[in-house]
Amino acid sequence: MTPTTDSVPDDSWIQASRVVVTAGKGGVGSSTLAAVTALAAAQQGAKVLLASVDGKPNLGRLFDGSPLTSRQRDLYSDPSGGQVRGQSISPEQAFGDYLDLRGVGGLMRRVVKAASLDVVAASTPGLEHLLVLGKIKELERADDADLIVVDAPPAGHVTPFLASATTALEAVAPGPLRTQAEEVHAMLSDPQRTQVAIVTLPEETPVNEAIELHADVCALGLSVAPLVVNGCWPEQPGLHQPVTAAAREAGVTLTSRQRTALVASSRFGAARLDLQAHQLDRLDAALPLARILLPRLPTPRLTWSDLEVLASALRGAPQSSSQHQPDGTTT
Amino acid sequence: MTADPAAATFAELVDTSALVVTCGPGGVGKTTTAAAIGLLGARAGRRVVVVTIDPARRLADALGIPAETADDPHRVRGLGRMKGTLDVLMLDAERTFDRLILDKAGKQAEGILNNPIYRSIAGSLSGAQEYMAIERLHQLHEAGEHDLIVVDTPPSRHAVDILTAPDRLASFFGHPVYRTLVGPSRAMARVTSTATAGFAWAVKRLAGPQIVEDTLDFFSSISGMEDGLRKRAAAVSKLLRNQDTSFVLVTSPRAEAIDEALHLNEALQDGGYPMRAAVANLVHPLPPACTIDPALVRAGSALDDQLRHHGELTALAVAERAELATLVDVIESTKHDDVVFCQVELLAQDVHALDTLAQIADALSAPAA
Ligand SMILES: Nc1ncnc2c1ncn2[C@@H]1O[C@H](COP(=O)(O)OP(=O)(O)OP(=O)(O)O)[C@@H](O)[C@H]1O
Ligand SMILES: [Mg+2]
Repeated sequence: MTPTTDSVPDDSWIQASRVVVTAGKGGVGSSTLAAVTALAAAQQGAKVLLASVDGKPNLGRLFDGSPLTSRQRDLYSDPSGGQVRGQSISPEQAFGDYLDLRGVGGLMRRVVKAASLDVVAASTPGLEHLLVLGKIKELERADDADLIVVDAPPAGHVTPFLASATTALEAVAPGPLRTQAEEVHAMLSDPQRTQVAIVTLPEETPVNEAIELHADVCALGLSVAPLVVNGCWPEQPGLHQPVTAAAREAGVTLTSRQRTALVASSRFGAARLDLQAHQLDRLDAALPLARILLPRLPTPRLTWSDLEVLASALRGAPQSSSQHQPDGTTT
Repeated sequence: MTADPAAATFAELVDTSALVVTCGPGGVGKTTTAAAIGLLGARAGRRVVVVTIDPARRLADALGIPAETADDPHRVRGLGRMKGTLDVLMLDAERTFDRLILDKAGKQAEGILNNPIYRSIAGSLSGAQEYMAIERLHQLHEAGEHDLIVVDTPPSRHAVDILTAPDRLASFFGHPVYRTLVGPSRAMARVTSTATAGFAWAVKRLAGPQIVEDTLDFFSSISGMEDGLRKRAAAVSKLLRNQDTSFVLVTSPRAEAIDEALHLNEALQDGGYPMRAAVANLVHPLPPACTIDPALVRAGSALDDQLRHHGELTALAVAERAELATLVDVIESTKHDDVVFCQVELLAQDVHALDTLAQIADALSAPAA
């Protein structure tokens, strides 16, 4: 389970645990990775549940154009028999489900709900996160899905989210919440049940944050999936050559406008490639993880076909030429 | 929103504002933009303080923010000759909360600060960090040592959290459960209020009886403070809507970021907050056109690499500009104020020195294309 730095992992890690939590700071693509991981597992034939917990139900958009809701729905069926279903989980909903589970109904339930989760949560640190993770634990136990992919809350919330069970174990006396915390902790810290997939970009600040996140996740005793570096420019060594030399070598005569244009784009590209190489080196030096590079696709708005390209990249598979639509038809 | 001649350029915006708030989705450059705006203000002769939140390490180093006293305004040196001054500080939410308690709780302050439940509440109350950013701003505003305050906002689950934080805090202290809990007789409160019974029941069942006791103690020890807190929240809420306050929406050209930015724009407009500028950061540069028949170029040659990259960069840059055009259209059609639009390109390197920060400042003040 400790891959060496340079190993390119095969795609078996995706289903090595029952739950994969994708985590990264804002803007690096943790939601995208969640969707891509779910798709890749479905292509392997798995029944996948894609769960969004940060209250931004945008995840579903990539599949069928509409956001995820608290009601589970089908997002994708693969010819292999695999499928992706999706739902969002909010703390309020998890709280309600928790009360159901404890058989709290009628007047008491209304009263408790009136007390408002905000007020209750204020006196119990990490309660909201713990309720959500408790809900995920119930879903894992229900065994309807082979794999649950969870898009962790962004930014400053990732570590508190993952740490909520540990925090509660320190603060809370024996009782139902403690039992809940123990069960969540057992799920999170078992490598067969949970892995955290850290995603980053080949840039300075995201790399720093990935290194910090990795340390936090390890300190909590959770296992880490291969590191995913999103938004990588394809390696194009030719960008480092002076434009005129490249043209001469290719036997092409450039007009001065053509030369100016190429100088502008190649200079920018070469600088970004240098930055990327430098940041990948830093990741190598700092993190003992296998690493998967996802390409920067030349679009600011990902579509279904982009998702397929990224899923192939995640699986290390050559890109397939036929493309399936989310409903299973072939184009 | 009619009296004030609206700013048409970023320079005017900086000149006419007493408070600038940068907000937007995560990782798009809010902190960087806040620092660059501070620089513009100082260049224009104003006494500026920038309240940053969790700046990238290299930026904090470049600004020379000392680790120990990061929460106090610190003068930035090495910017060359400027008419004004630039101070920065790093928000420490817990210390700000402590200060607030000290300021508002009088004799009880000591007891509150030592209550174990206080510590967890300071960190876990939803919106506490957002609220504290605004609270710190209020403190600086009252102190009056600066004539331009630039506030960075924390990356939140929803960027709108920052706007609703004062109201949420006020409603927390105004919540019926909370009010009965801190009522004159705790014993009475427990039996008479079903809401309180529900609360006590829930917390007891969830977390155990000790937490209930601690919580009730904490709530009663801060009783008497909440009026002050609520008034403060109301004052801050008003300050955010002042004529000389400017919200600057920062986004990247990625679809997810733009969707969130549009959401935030709506919240700003609906809430009557003065939305004065939108900054599109991290935009890929658009290279001049280059038409060469690819058939003439051998696959795998250096020139082939260069042409392919030129094509990809162009496609990306064009698509990003199209996304941004939608953003501009929507903002134009919903705005109540005049909005300055700026585009800041993704630089070839990270922003970690004062000269790259100056580059961003220049891009902000460049006349719109
Ligand atoms: N125009 C730019 N070109 C290149 N790099 C940039 C540019 N703007 C910002 N950056 C870099 O992007 C990273 C993120 O910027 P910054 O910390 O300002 O974002 P933020 O919106 O404050 O993030 P958060 O939501 O996490 O607070 C930093 O490393 C910064 O140096
Ligand atoms: Mg920031």
